[in-house]
Amino acid sequence: MTKVINSNSRTQMAFASFRRNRMAMVCFWALIVLYGVAIFADFICPYAYKDEDRNYSYCPPTAVEFLDHGRWACPFVYKHVLTFDAIHRRIYKIDPTQKYPLCFLKGGRFCTVEAPGRLYLWGADARGRDLFSRIWYGARISLSIGLLGVAISFILGLLIGGIAGYYGGWIDNVLMHLCEMFMMIPGFYLMLALRAAVPENFNSVQVYLSVIIILALIGWASLARVIRGMTLSLRERDYVLAAKTLGVPDFVIIIRHILPQTISYSMATLMLTVSSYILAEAGLSVVGLGIQDPIPSWGNLLSDAMEIVPVIFAPWILLPGLFIFIAVMSFNVVGDGLRDAFDPMFREGES
Amino acid sequence: MNTLLSINNLTVAVGSKMLVNQVSFDVPPGKIVAIAGGSGSGKTTIGLSILRLLSPSLRIEQGKIIFEGKDLLGFSKEDMRQCRGARIGMIFQEPLSAFDPLFTIGQQMDEVLEAHTKLSKQERFKKILETLSEVELPDPKRAYKSFPHQLSGGMRQRAMVAQAIVGGPSLVIADEPTSSLDVTLQVKIMELFRRLRQKNISILLIAHDLGMISRVADEIMVLRQGEIVEKGLTMQVINQPRHEYTRALLEAFQ
Repeated sequence: MTKVINSNSRTQMAFASFRRNRMAMVCFWALIVLYGVAIFADFICPYAYKDEDRNYSYCPPTAVEFLDHGRWACPFVYKHVLTFDAIHRRIYKIDPTQKYPLCFLKGGRFCTVEAPGRLYLWGADARGRDLFSRIWYGARISLSIGLLGVAISFILGLLIGGIAGYYGGWIDNVLMHLCEMFMMIPGFYLMLALRAAVPENFNSVQVYLSVIIILALIGWASLARVIRGMTLSLRERDYVLAAKTLGVPDFVIIIRHILPQTISYSMATLMLTVSSYILAEAGLSVVGLGIQDPIPSWGNLLSDAMEIVPVIFAPWILLPGLFIFIAVMSFNVVGDGLRDAFDPMFREGES
Repeated sequence: MNTLLSINNLTVAVGSKMLVNQVSFDVPPGKIVAIAGGSGSGKTTIGLSILRLLSPSLRIEQGKIIFEGKDLLGFSKEDMRQCRGARIGMIFQEPLSAFDPLFTIGQQMDEVLEAHTKLSKQERFKKILETLSEVELPDPKRAYKSFPHQLSGGMRQRAMVAQAIVGGPSLVIADEPTSSLDVTLQVKIMELFRRLRQKNISILLIAHDLGMISRVADEIMVLRQGEIVEKGLTMQVINQPRHEYTRALLEAFQ
């Protein structure tokens, strides 16, 4: 008996092949860690994102000490004292006489330092806010905006592409010309134009939601075009005709029998689109049109690093850029990995 | 007049080429009427015309398709959709490609009932199991949960028949239902059709194998290049073929 290759095992084979792709797995776990820490930021971060201490403006990263005069001790940090050097540059010096012990599991946080001591694992920003905490609280915004934006884009793209491809004719013409109208405007300018249409007096939640919708409106068109193309061929399948002969409504046919067949393409594209949305949000926030201070996002954290002077004496404020890089790269590599895993030609060549 | 389906002067064309030319025939209730003919003779086109599912490049030039006393060509799109599956079912040649590989047999039959009835989930489940045992699938519950690829060819074709009749149609169009099966299975499917006829379901059987058709059909039409060249009771056509094309077809299967 020949064994029938079925769609179930096809998906399983794809995931097995994905697991063998070491680079993609590393990036996959990187994303799990990023999202995990972001979700549990309330517990993991020593401070709330708004928590500031102006005495510690641009305080450098503090080292956590375990040895006190050569002997093991409860982990502690030294006090940083602000001084000025000969040309009046700010310099933080460690005061070895003042020690603040770390306290664990206090106030619902894993690890913090009692005032007046401060714990700056990755340094502080201009207003003495902890960059470590702000990066992880910012991760909540940046990483969720990408996902939610993509979710909306995908629903729009799949439905519009599916409807255009399935019905064809004038419906196809109208929808595809609409797509072209969105695609002909360069993405960033379209984003700025849409942002300009949003009222200025929005509160932070409304701004957050409007940024999501703006991102969603940018990406759906290219997806819809590809899905439409795939639908043009999928609608000729026998089981689509069979469903029609049985009086199954068109909408059910599109949702259940056509769109699921595009899953391998959509999953890879989904990952690549998330990364482009994270970048787009960062772009919008860097120019001050995205999420507004004091709520952090990786984009507006990075906007602090737009001036050269702070970057020279507080280079740690570039750290959010590193996180954008890690997140975007991980999504891209995972997306590429998924695409290769679902592509049977590639998989056969590999084995 | 006692007919379930009556086709008058049906003409279907693509561009200026006639695929089906002035075809007329009747399907009485509870009878099996067969359309025989070689490839490209327009058999399938007639089947799809009745359901109004021709591809957009084909047009019905003229004719009437009277089903249960109403002209199907005058139906609105929504009326036509409700007619398909509930009043007219269709069986395809290749059941493996006619089922969506991503859903179980049961789920796909459920779609038909969902589209046409207001039955509850349990009632639909019961009805589907009944239909599956009606087509003599050995283990209806297992068949319900099976994906198309998990069934054998013969069982898939039975599942296909079950899907076509689950909505309770009075006419089933079977387009080459046995061509993908071996001879013993073909005979069994034909026996199944005979039982459906006893339940007062008419079957429009589209096939090229005259020998197989003659086992079940009450009437046979022979179609060549879109025109009916011979029409009559099965015995008559098989034993005393009048047209040379019919004779050629018969000889081909001996």
